[in-house]
Amino acid sequence: MHSQDFPQLASVEAIKEGFESFGYICSDKIATAVFLAFQLRKPVLVEGPPGVGKTELAKTTSQLLETPLIRLQCYEGLDEAKALYEWKYSKQLLYTQVLKEKLGDLLQGAHNLAESVERLHQFGDIFYSEEFLEPRPLLKAMQQERGAILLIDEVDKSDYEFESLLLEILSDYQISIPEIGTVKARTTPMVFLTSNNTRDLSDALKRRCLHLYIPFPTVELEERIVRSRVPDVDEQLRHQLVEFVHSLRQLDLKKVPAISETIDWARSLLLLHADKLDEELVRSTLNVLLKFEDDIESTDSELRQLIREKAGD
Amino acid sequence: MPDSLVSFIQVLRTHDLRISPAETLDAMNVATTVGYSDRTLLRDGLSMTLAKTPDEEAIFLQCFDRFFDRQLADFSEEQEPDEPSAADIDETDAADTADSNDSEPGAESESSPLEEAAESEPQLEALMQSELMQALVNNDRNALSMAMNKAGEAAGLQQIQIFTQKGQFTRKILDAMGEEQIRESVIALERADSPALPQLQRYRDILRDQVRDYVESQYLLHAEGKTQQFMEDVLSKTRLSNIEHTYLHRVHDLVRKMAKKLATRHARKRREYRRGQLNMSRTMRAGIPNDGLMFDVHWRRTRKEKPQILAVCDVSGSVAAYAKFLLLFLYSLQDVLPRVRSFAFSSNLGEVSELFEQYPVEKAIELVNWKYGGATDYGTALTDFANLALEDINSNTTVIILGDARNNKGDPKLEIMQSIYQRSRQVIWLNPESRRAWGTGDSEMQRYQSACHFAAECNNLKQLERIIDQLLKSTR
Repeated sequence: MHSQDFPQLASVEAIKEGFESFGYICSDKIATAVFLAFQLRKPVLVEGPPGVGKTELAKTTSQLLETPLIRLQCYEGLDEAKALYEWKYSKQLLYTQVLKEKLGDLLQGAHNLAESVERLHQFGDIFYSEEFLEPRPLLKAMQQERGAILLIDEVDKSDYEFESLLLEILSDYQISIPEIGTVKARTTPMVFLTSNNTRDLSDALKRRCLHLYIPFPTVELEERIVRSRVPDVDEQLRHQLVEFVHSLRQLDLKKVPAISETIDWARSLLLLHADKLDEELVRSTLNVLLKFEDDIESTDSELRQLIREKAGD
Repeated sequence: MPDSLVSFIQVLRTHDLRISPAETLDAMNVATTVGYSDRTLLRDGLSMTLAKTPDEEAIFLQCFDRFFDRQLADFSEEQEPDEPSAADIDETDAADTADSNDSEPGAESESSPLEEAAESEPQLEALMQSELMQALVNNDRNALSMAMNKAGEAAGLQQIQIFTQKGQFTRKILDAMGEEQIRESVIALERADSPALPQLQRYRDILRDQVRDYVESQYLLHAEGKTQQFMEDVLSKTRLSNIEHTYLHRVHDLVRKMAKKLATRHARKRREYRRGQLNMSRTMRAGIPNDGLMFDVHWRRTRKEKPQILAVCDVSGSVAAYAKFLLLFLYSLQDVLPRVRSFAFSSNLGEVSELFEQYPVEKAIELVNWKYGGATDYGTALTDFANLALEDINSNTTVIILGDARNNKGDPKLEIMQSIYQRSRQVIWLNPESRRAWGTGDSEMQRYQSACHFAAECNNLKQLERIIDQLLKSTR
């Protein structure tokens, strides 16, 4: 991707504004990462707790640049046949059938074996050619004419071996296919990798990436996010609910509520026509924020105090 | 600027960040792309290439602030009013300038007391002509910090390691800069009871403050990481029983680090071909290009099972001092390796894996000690162990026993040990006593050793690490 084609990525400020127009409110750091990734043509490894908008970042970038988003969801056992390419076996089979039928015609007039082989060699070797290649996400991203956003989601879920497979793509933007050779990217794609830190990634992989850690946002930033996603919520309620979620994050919970949960909660409060938080309301809607029964039970006793603190503001 | 970026990376390395040459190049690229004018942008950009985890990022930010603040304070002509630390001195400095400026216009008619005194005293006059004094009198901060840097380099300030060296280095630098002459002149003026004394004293104090501050900041940059390394180095070589209780949390960090290192080094799953089972679908697919002729045969692959570790730890009185650390190690090991079961005993034995999972480390160790501490009886403990776990021991299991094998002359129940030995892949005995003491008194070590694949003396963390490393290598 060339910089003159994408004025949207000309500076950190431009990126921030561009993202905001698509409803993705981000910190300077996130914008800087995208800027650098574009300028230096390096992949970005995005880490952070679930639900802070790691995947959303890649999606918004693709909207902003109006380029296709190609997504590879990682899981244990993912291998090259599903990530890189596969041969179209059935088509190859048909081809051999056709070839067999035509073989007689083709070799007509050949007097001996050497001559037949000679004639065979005159046909192009199309059996292993790109026509019979079924591109999987990684190869597809390399083939895009106008560049693409490649999202390798939850790379920590994949096997150790798969990481090594990624290295060639991440550093040189090319894929080696034994039967054909090296396929270079037509236009360098922008690559985002996300990780939830379920295991440590290898140093080799980390070294090739820019490292972006997205923490939970500050109160102010989260309020802006809620405002852009759920614009109808009253300002005072918005402040209250964000503050409340923040105080929940201080507690010792199995799974702390993320930004997506805050947004869901704001939406449900809107549906209930609430204009301020009270204990009863929070208790009845707490299951939107907390996803474990244990968490809900343990917060229940502290609810009253948490809300009183917020009301006292 | 690239030079200072390189020395910044040096500083990061002393703080335990691993930065490869390739990453240094990346950092250079980032710096040229974003430029040096926007400090936040530069910081964010560099942190993305140099820091790989949130922990490293915290260290990075700390170092960045320290390092680039000094640079600003040293090289910029104008000081921003809210610049921390260095600004304080500069303020007094500025105040001094104002003072001397006040007196200097008057100097047209009557010169300052210091200059007056200098006229009558040749020694003082020579001092006033020296570069150092000129810099101080003219408040030439650049000249002063350059002289300080030079003296610091000559004194080898970058090698500073522990805080007790700070005084020594301050003195060395002051001497190199020629503070001695000022001191002598001060004494001379004191004797003469000269009016110029307070002024010269003030210059001397400014100089001392500046140098002290410079040494302090250099210490923070270069030595803090080293001190920690030094500490860890010492701790890992000390006999476990001698480590003070106050260092327990430090040791915990160290042990965790070690266990994690071992785990990542050995956690890679390995695939193995197991001949005999045909992978039909792959073979057929491979045969398609050859018109269904299956001459390229593919075999089913199986993933080798990961080894299971059963760790048994003696927590009786005789090994109490070690037990704490051995439990600590067990705790960390269970934290980082997936298939570890831990047991503790003195006379009765019980499984403590769950305790370790539920409680934080100190609490868990305390609970284990309270529950299982007492007099040793290896016979009962082994019987209990056999009841609990003998069924689960198979050719993939490694059994680690941590204990001194002092059985108070009881029945050692060697036959149980032998059945464990026969069923398991590996039995390892780690004994905190030195090899010479094995078999003396009530120690059954030599008899137990006959039912172990490997027995070793283990009383400091270095030995422990080496042994576990070996163990994990062979359990593959």
